[in-house]
Amino acid sequence: MEMTHAHEEGAHSPRFYWIVGGVLAAITIVEVLITLIHLPHPLLVPILLVLSVIKGAGVIMFFMHLRGDRPPYQVMFLIPFTLAVTFILFFLLLFSQHVGIAG
Amino acid sequence: MSTPPTHTTQDTHGTPSSHAAPAPMLGSLGVDSRKLGVWAFIGSETLFFAALITIYLIMAPVNMARSDAQDPKEFLDIAFTSLLAAILLASSLTMVLALAANKRGDTRQFRIWHLATVILGFCFLGGQVYEFNKLLHEGVTLSSSLFGTSFFVLTGFHGTHVAIGAIWLLSTFFKVTKYPDSPENAMDIELAGLYWHFVDLVWVAIFTLIYLI
Repeated sequence: MEMTHAHEEGAHSPRFYWIVGGVLAAITIVEVLITLIHLPHPLLVPILLVLSVIKGAGVIMFFMHLRGDRPPYQVMFLIPFTLAVTFILFFLLLFSQHVGIAG
Repeated sequence: MSTPPTHTTQDTHGTPSSHAAPAPMLGSLGVDSRKLGVWAFIGSETLFFAALITIYLIMAPVNMARSDAQDPKEFLDIAFTSLLAAILLASSLTMVLALAANKRGDTRQFRIWHLATVILGFCFLGGQVYEFNKLLHEGVTLSSSLFGTSFFVLTGFHGTHVAIGAIWLLSTFFKVTKYPDSPENAMDIELAGLYWHFVDLVWVAIFTLIYLI
């Protein structure tokens, strides 16, 4: 019963999935267009990262149905995901040419 | 005293008893242990790809400072890779549409969307083979530079995951087609779909961090 409930919670209509897919496609197009207008690097990087995070969140929440799914599933993914993002940021800082050990 | 849940309706081959409602393999956490296992696997894969992406990002400035430097901007074709990103994104959409069709009991729609997912997966793989071949002809190899090494290891592992995912989806399709009444079909499709969406998720990160930035 609990599983059925969880599945129903995460389920949406095909129309909803088409809308999500359309939004994700639009974000991808915006990402590519932004790289073509040659923005300064300090401006370009955060914009692309934010767009990428929105895309990733869309896939995780609506296509993988993690939003509204049972907490053990969420924990099983979100803990390693948080660790992974933390590791990437710390390693980049550590090996940064400005402040890290490679500087 | 509460009655323990029975798991006797589990039937792997869709025998007549399979018309009963699907019985999840409930573990001590009260959730399906197969799905929890796939989420744990995806969690470990997240750390694996995070390590590969970190290596690429750390090696990028080191690569440019070396005498054998190869500038990624000279070799990577953003337009073509954008097409690959669109293909993988579309395959995620068709996958979730296949899952939704299966939940509705719409066999025809399920088959269309599920096979579309597999076809799009193989299109992506074909595109990646083309890209690798082009790079090899331009002199970018596993040992030509730090860029070549870190790029091929990262995208090669991702491509391998796509290939495994496509085979997984194809085997799920044949299983569901052969045993349409199996109570495990919904979970089988969902698990294959979870893995497939994860593969797409990794490409979202690779596309931005490696190709666009």
